[in-house]
Amino acid sequence: MKTTTVKNKRKISIGQPIIYLLLSLWALTTIYPIVWVVLNSFKDRRYILKNSFSLPIGDIFTLSNYELAFRRVNILSAYKNSLIISTTVAVTVIIFAGLASYVLVRYEFRLKKLLYGLVIAGMMFPVYSTIIPVFRMEYSWGIVNTDKLYLSLLSCALPQIAGNLSFAIVVLMGYIKSLPIELEEAAYMEGCNIFQIFFRVIVPLTKPSFATVSIFSFLWSYNDLFTQMFFLRTKTQWTITNLLNQLTSQEGTNYGLMASAVTLVIIPILILYIFLQKYIIKGMTAGAVKG
Amino acid sequence: MKKLLALLLTLTMVVSMAACTKKEDPATNTPGSSTDSPKATATTAPTAAPKKVTLNVTTTYAGNDGNAQNYQDAVANWEKSTGNKVNDSSSTSDETFKARVLADFETGSEPDVLFFFNGVDSNAFVQAGKVVSIDEIRQSYPDYASNMKDGMLGASPVDGKNYSVPVNGYWEGMFVNKEVCKAAGVQIPDANTTWDQFLETCQKIKDAGFAPIAVSLATVPHYWFEFSIYNFLSPSTHNVLPKNTTDTQGQAWVNGINDIKMLYEKGYFPENTLTGTDDETVQLFIDNKAAFLIDGSWKVGGIEGLTTDIDNFTVTYVPGKGDRKTTDIIGGLSSGYFISKKAWEDPDKRAAAVDFITSMTSDELVSKFAQVSATALKNGPTVDESKLSSLAKDGLKYVKGATGMASAVEDQVPRECRVPVFDGMPNLVTGKNDIAEAIQSVLDLTAAQ
Amino acid sequence: MTAHIYKNKKPIIFFLAPAFAFIIVFLYYPFIQNIINSFQEIAGLGSAAKGWQDPWYSNYTALLKDETMRIALKNTLIMLLVTVFGQVGIALLLSILTDRVSHGAKFFRVVYFFPIVISATALGLLFFLIVLYDKGMLNQLREFFGATKLVDFKSKPYALFTMMIPVMWQYVGFYFIILVTGLNNISSELYEAASIDGATPYQQVKYLSLPLLRNVICTCVVLAVTGSLKVFDLPWTLFPKGMSDTWLTGSYMFYQVFNANNVDYSSAIAVVIVFLGVVLSKLVNTIFKEKEY
Repeated sequence: MKTTTVKNKRKISIGQPIIYLLLSLWALTTIYPIVWVVLNSFKDRRYILKNSFSLPIGDIFTLSNYELAFRRVNILSAYKNSLIISTTVAVTVIIFAGLASYVLVRYEFRLKKLLYGLVIAGMMFPVYSTIIPVFRMEYSWGIVNTDKLYLSLLSCALPQIAGNLSFAIVVLMGYIKSLPIELEEAAYMEGCNIFQIFFRVIVPLTKPSFATVSIFSFLWSYNDLFTQMFFLRTKTQWTITNLLNQLTSQEGTNYGLMASAVTLVIIPILILYIFLQKYIIKGMTAGAVKG
Repeated sequence: MKKLLALLLTLTMVVSMAACTKKEDPATNTPGSSTDSPKATATTAPTAAPKKVTLNVTTTYAGNDGNAQNYQDAVANWEKSTGNKVNDSSSTSDETFKARVLADFETGSEPDVLFFFNGVDSNAFVQAGKVVSIDEIRQSYPDYASNMKDGMLGASPVDGKNYSVPVNGYWEGMFVNKEVCKAAGVQIPDANTTWDQFLETCQKIKDAGFAPIAVSLATVPHYWFEFSIYNFLSPSTHNVLPKNTTDTQGQAWVNGINDIKMLYEKGYFPENTLTGTDDETVQLFIDNKAAFLIDGSWKVGGIEGLTTDIDNFTVTYVPGKGDRKTTDIIGGLSSGYFISKKAWEDPDKRAAAVDFITSMTSDELVSKFAQVSATALKNGPTVDESKLSSLAKDGLKYVKGATGMASAVEDQVPRECRVPVFDGMPNLVTGKNDIAEAIQSVLDLTAAQ
Repeated sequence: MTAHIYKNKKPIIFFLAPAFAFIIVFLYYPFIQNIINSFQEIAGLGSAAKGWQDPWYSNYTALLKDETMRIALKNTLIMLLVTVFGQVGIALLLSILTDRVSHGAKFFRVVYFFPIVISATALGLLFFLIVLYDKGMLNQLREFFGATKLVDFKSKPYALFTMMIPVMWQYVGFYFIILVTGLNNISSELYEAASIDGATPYQQVKYLSLPLLRNVICTCVVLAVTGSLKVFDLPWTLFPKGMSDTWLTGSYMFYQVFNANNVDYSSAIAVVIVFLGVVLSKLVNTIFKEKEY
């Protein structure tokens, strides 16, 4: 590690205002759109194109978009279905990807390069090219197009799990690589076997990265309209994203309704994310030492 | 056959403000839900199977379709009165929906009853023999669809046989913003306006600082395509596909698109016609910035939802030239209820499927769905005019005054084959691509099907 | 050095089996079908093949001549550079800055992630209204500053910018989160030691953070490369059907499946996308090859 011989200790605080300014500017671009969508969801559709950037006060204010949205569909059951699918996807992905990444990082074996190649290439398959064969396969197993709710939800979750595994393995591998091997060696000296090392050493250390990956998998599954439209056929099976799509027609787009649907879709997930954020930070207590 | 259809339709057509599932999702008028139960028309069917069944049904009555609620009520009523269950997988009509339906037929997981396009979109499963023809159904149920005119059921392009029972139809016409016409000091075009007079009108409107015609060539060129080529044909010849670019129809297509190019060059379209969406250009029309808009009957409800001053809008004939009279319009019935072979061969489901469609296409329900649009009903729909807006009444007059009708020729071309002309329209009007070549590619693609 | 604890290869199979079973069944099997499809004649989505192409590689020769494909490739490469440098660059900057502030780091971490939470449909609508010709936010702003003529941001020469900026903006937060997680993993003692040795903040970043983040940055770049080859949803909502020549490989493939119903041809495009992705990620990995410090 290279060090300099500059003696005067410069305080970091000199640059702080500028740093805050930069960070706040970017934060503005990420917060405003959400505020904008929420505000527009309280406007009558006629005013959205003309006054999309004003506050919904007075004549413009209306709750009709929400009334319409709630009247049209069973929102609660849609939330429930979304939650079931996306949680299944997130949990399965981190367990399977965690197991695989650990071995791919720590072991040297003949097929390692090939397997890693498979993972990377798998990330590039556009979903539009694989969906029809997957659909046929699942149909032959008898889990698609039935009126059994949980089978249908499963049929939708399976391809999503596969689609998120590659990404999860890549991210987790990058993280596990940077963990110092000394801890594992110490555990080995104490007589732990590989499984114990994985669950007692690797998993606790990799927690923040697990949290990140699970949130992403959850989100992608939640927002993945394409797969959901293909596998969830009946109203009882719909997720909240399907519902958003159903609520917005293609002809004469009703922007107000759209904004309210978007709001209904993103608010729960934002709350969930902010809630989980605590756990990520918790998992981020000073990590390993490397140097 | 087509001629007959056109004539029959002309006699019975009325305005539609209800949604119709033609190419886009229909408008957004939400009729209040009503609870009076439709009486299923009695069929002389052998007694319905005693076993209660669950029918798998797929339709396009979902999402923002104006009839989504009507459909749900009707299904609930049918379930109540028969004791059968409906497993409904209706979805907004779009590309994914179509792909899904076709994939279902392909994998053998098709629904028992399907409400779907009866044009070329249905060719794949009609050819594969996966749906039952009306004739075959009538051998066991002589009264099936007996309240409909057979000539208007919407015969399959594959073999000219009827496979589906339609509900309501569509027409296409020219909506007018009266305010803009007044400000520009021009007459609102009527049944006697010629194409040349129309061009003069457009020039005056442009000089007054408005956009004469609201259209997004980028996303919805098809209405203009339809009427521009209609101008070089007539109701009886409009529905014939060209064999090449030099026969009568082929020439009409080339000339028609050249007319669109001419309108573009004269600057009669909005400045962002090549990049704006349909919603943007419609908004121009609503905001008193554009005078004319060609669109379908479903737009009546769309405009009602967008404006606070419905009396400022009317609908009129698209000015014509040549053999096409100004009062010759475009319209038809483009979707209907199919019964799949699978359900037909299932002794438990057969009777239920027939009964379901019979009740969904009863005079009473068709009237409710169609409001004032086209139907194939022998007795015509029954409508309460006092509930209509001024624009809807204008639409009623529009259809009554029609002297001829052809259905949209684009429906004869599979959607994926329309690509060179429809998606390529911006490149055609700017001269980047050759018009005749693009039409030739459309014909080649269609022939390859 | 690999410790001798990893000499015994027996457990490997248990660790790898579940994940790879999924990947093979749900990704590779369908994709092999997709490769086969690219040599066949297929009428429509969900219909069976009519037979082999004649000659069997015709789709690929057609791709070579396809002008739209060329535009798509060119745009995708531009997009790729923009995402790698723009997205990952901005994300890196933001994550290092966040790491250095004493208060509010948590807040920034939370809000930077917001754009990813919103589905592309919603973002598409938002940007649609921002660049709207008559009159979105941008044109309203320009008017406010005295412009008299509306600008059509969806026509050339603006189109490419209009398309890429939202995509870039949306995913900065994604890489940011990954990088921040990595940064948090660097012990604060190291920084303390460095500052006692008199390293300036800039030097700390250069000689501590960046080298230690190397793997994570490499991951981000690979993700950015593969992501930009597939990117589809947001550009499509703003520029349906490659309007104003804004085609990308992802959107062109989607178009060929769902609009032109050209299933076999789109399968060939998918093969090209995957091939490019593999080659480019190899390249990235070579560039970032682990060096010892």
